[in-house]
Amino acid sequence: MGGLQKKKYESGSATNYISRNKARKKLCLSLADFRRLCILKGVYPHEPKHKKKVNKGSTAQRTFYLLKDIRFLLHEPIVGKFREYKIFVRKLRKAYGKAEWGGVERLRDNKPAYKLDHIVKERYPTFIDALRDVDDALSMCFLFSTFARTGKCHVQTIQLCRRLSVEWMNYIVTSRSLKKVFLSIKGIYYQAEVLGQTITWLVPYQFAHDHPTDVDYRVMATFTEFYTTLLGFVNFRLYQTLNLLYPPKLDVKGETELKAEFEEDYAMDSESYLEKLSALSASLARVVSSAEEEEAEMDYFPVEGEDMEKMEARVKAQHEQDKQKKLFEGLKFFLNREVPRESLAFILRCFGAQVSWDKSLCIGSTYDAEDETITHHIVDRPNMDKQYMNRYYIQPQWVFDSVNAKMLLPVEDYFLGVTLPPHLSPFVEEKEGDYVPPEKLKLLALQRGERPVEEDEEDDEEEEEEEDDDEEEEEDDDEEAEEEAKLKEMEEKKSQGKALPVKVTPGKVKSENRHRLEQEEKAEEKRLAIMMMKKRDKYLYDKIMFGKKRHVRETNKMVAKRKALDEASKADRKKKKQKKQ
Amino acid sequence: VTIIHQASHIILLYVNMAAARRHRRVAASQPGFIPLKSDLDGKSLSIGRRKRVNKNKKKNWNKYSDINDVEEFLDDVRLQERATGGLIADKTDESLFFVDTGTKESVLEPETGKKSKPLRIDLILQPTSNVAPPKDILAHQRPNAKKERRIAQKIQKLTDMGVLPRRKRPQKVPVKEKPIISKDPDRNFYDIWSAGSPETADPYYLEQTKKKLVKRPEKMNEKPSLLPAVEVIAPGGSYNPDFLSHQALLLEAHEVEVTKLKAETKLARKLAVNKKEFATQETTFKEQIEGLVEEGEEPENETEGPEAVADADEDEAVGPTAQQEKKTEKQRKREKDERIKELQKKAARQMIDSRQQLFKLRSIETELKKREQKTKMRQIKRKTQQEAQKTLPRRLGKLKFQAPDLDVQLSDELAGSLRTLKPEGSVLKDRFKSLQKRNLIEPRERAKFKRKHKLKYVEKRDFKEIK
Repeated sequence: MGGLQKKKYESGSATNYISRNKARKKLCLSLADFRRLCILKGVYPHEPKHKKKVNKGSTAQRTFYLLKDIRFLLHEPIVGKFREYKIFVRKLRKAYGKAEWGGVERLRDNKPAYKLDHIVKERYPTFIDALRDVDDALSMCFLFSTFARTGKCHVQTIQLCRRLSVEWMNYIVTSRSLKKVFLSIKGIYYQAEVLGQTITWLVPYQFAHDHPTDVDYRVMATFTEFYTTLLGFVNFRLYQTLNLLYPPKLDVKGETELKAEFEEDYAMDSESYLEKLSALSASLARVVSSAEEEEAEMDYFPVEGEDMEKMEARVKAQHEQDKQKKLFEGLKFFLNREVPRESLAFILRCFGAQVSWDKSLCIGSTYDAEDETITHHIVDRPNMDKQYMNRYYIQPQWVFDSVNAKMLLPVEDYFLGVTLPPHLSPFVEEKEGDYVPPEKLKLLALQRGERPVEEDEEDDEEEEEEEDDDEEEEEDDDEEAEEEAKLKEMEEKKSQGKALPVKVTPGKVKSENRHRLEQEEKAEEKRLAIMMMKKRDKYLYDKIMFGKKRHVRETNKMVAKRKALDEASKADRKKKKQKKQ
Repeated sequence: VTIIHQASHIILLYVNMAAARRHRRVAASQPGFIPLKSDLDGKSLSIGRRKRVNKNKKKNWNKYSDINDVEEFLDDVRLQERATGGLIADKTDESLFFVDTGTKESVLEPETGKKSKPLRIDLILQPTSNVAPPKDILAHQRPNAKKERRIAQKIQKLTDMGVLPRRKRPQKVPVKEKPIISKDPDRNFYDIWSAGSPETADPYYLEQTKKKLVKRPEKMNEKPSLLPAVEVIAPGGSYNPDFLSHQALLLEAHEVEVTKLKAETKLARKLAVNKKEFATQETTFKEQIEGLVEEGEEPENETEGPEAVADADEDEAVGPTAQQEKKTEKQRKREKDERIKELQKKAARQMIDSRQQLFKLRSIETELKKREQKTKMRQIKRKTQQEAQKTLPRRLGKLKFQAPDLDVQLSDELAGSLRTLKPEGSVLKDRFKSLQKRNLIEPRERAKFKRKHKLKYVEKRDFKEIK
């Protein structure tokens, strides 16, 4: 047993990790700079498996980083810039202290600056990588662009965020890739499919800001700094794929149309173009101006059998998608001034509608409320004084629900002053046997092309619901039967192997219900099969059955609750009616 | 007329003295020299006996040769040059003299005010010397013709080739490019992912000059959490929710609150003061007289003490007893036989057992299968646990991640329409918490402001006076 004695904490996990403070010292940076660098480079803290070992015997809670990551950070050119910036601040302070204004100016001119382009390239080697991670960037940019310019963060950052988010919205409008919208109490969730990637982002409502105190603004600003760079490059590439000009330009038609008389009243010259872009009412200019968009036709390969079915399904899906893209095509909307203009304009334009609003509301309105060709007027107030005969006056929820339903919903439920149906989340995907709200069932029926049920005939509706439930139960039964059949087969196979010597004696004939007998037999067989199961199979089987039963029970409970609620509300209504009479 | 007379007198005087002194000899070498200062006229010059010194030593040359006259002369020359811009002797008569025709009453110009009077500081700073500043310092260094010719030829050759001399080249104004700031709202973006021209330079060179970026560790590309970047709120969080899903969300929020309340009450219960343990009069009295009353019992204890000690002593004495008598040969043999027999018995038993196992093969097989099954189950369980861990927030620092409060609106808070909707919670906080939840940043408390020195309150004098 020779050799040197091994020392503790000189190999293994103790050497793979480094504490935050040590890392900071290794990089010669202040804590704030270190944190900034980590965020920009995408270096995140790790929780080691054996903390005590890593912490050299101490159990104090520390933040650890992988040593390899920190070594990698040592090569980053931005680290040098951070140090330069530190020196710059020191010099500036000194110059201020000595009141050397010339010196201050000279220092300001030579303020060290850095770019994050190489980091974007390094973190996302391909465009698709970047697109996968763009959710965060979008949410952050949309959030920052709504901030007031009150000094919570740099005005420059807010401007850049606004520009990028407008660019993104314009891209989504032009590519018509929006899929889902959800109005929540927090903000508006959007989902789009861009180049095969599903992208979800959250947009806060306008003017809904209280600045929470327990949020580290510096950290958020750093994230935003990186995300704006990323989103800029992503936008550029996306615009290229659609042959659009970047930075975005309105096409000639739009530019002439949007020449408002009192442009200066809306925005300064420097900002008016961005405002016009953000109005979203005109389309963008293309690099090669094409009169008609070429629709990429799906390639057709002659195939047989299963592939054929798949192919057909795919063609059908594609067809549906195209149909959804042109949902509002040919409709002409007018937004009243109390509705959220930006989100509605964005959504309507995404599906090919024409939108306008009052001239005094925002720049970029294209027609007045008096226009006779308007088909839908979106209003969010109990009543309107002046109404035109040839247009629908609807509440804004109709637009959102129609988008989620992928079809134009009947407008009757959304008329002025009507109590709205609930706004369902399109992000929930119900599995079989889950509780499905009756509104959704109705919607599904509509989508299938069934005749919409009249509102007044509630009883019918309920019946239908019940029927639906029955159907479900039947389905369940069918499944059980299938299982039984399988088990039976297994049983038979087993029994074939070991045939036992059994004596058969003649018995008396019993007159019995044949059908019942059959059923009994079946039940008995099932019982036997269950009995004959191996212990572990039995365990699993019991678990599955229990889960199913519980699920059914829960669903039934929900349905019963809903029924009770509906009845209660119905009773209320009846009472009210009686009172009125 | 008088002035002319005076000038002729000076000249005469000069001529008279020139022969007498060495100074005058120097002056004589300057034809027509007129000293400006009057004390150079010779009156001040002392005429004494010359001291005789050996002049064969260099030291004496310096020491005893009087060069005052030369220096004075030169000073005078310089003075003249400063004052008049040249030697007075060289000046023409017209420049030196004028014909005095009596004072002419000149019409005084009306004073234009203070403006006309230059500042004294400007006057001081004005050049006092009439000597023109040297135009070209190197004027005396005339390069020779050959050199000049050669230079000219070279320039000619270069211009023929198209290379202009530096002086004639159009001067490039160094335009300082401002570095792009990542926050600039007007910055330009480009296609960063386009395939640029492949790097042709030597990789070793690039590596050594730090032009090649270091490869990013693979592990850094893994996401620290499997959670999606944007978690969509539950369907109950809709602004106009379906009744049941809203109830479900409310229930969830309620459960969270209940657990919080439970923890709080538990803490309060544990920290509550037990009233039974309060000091009563009795207990305080007991405590006070402790050690005073119980004297009677103590002697008993003392008597018990020594006995116990003695017992302990006895116990110590009982150690391993000494070896008993020696075993006989017979005894040894018997013991050995017994040992061997036992071993044989054991071996036989083992043999039988192993043979018996042959008949138990099936049960053994089932046992093995069972064991395998168990390990497999454990593996699966562990794996699922690990997967679940990947979505959980980790402990990354001093503080644990604290889930934000669920954003919920009660049934009476729900808005009927989009116009009357009152947004709940803050998106900023939601994003921040999401970053923490996905292990991108460690949860942290805001640094508290620490006062270095204690505050000292002093009444102002004015305030005191009022009292």
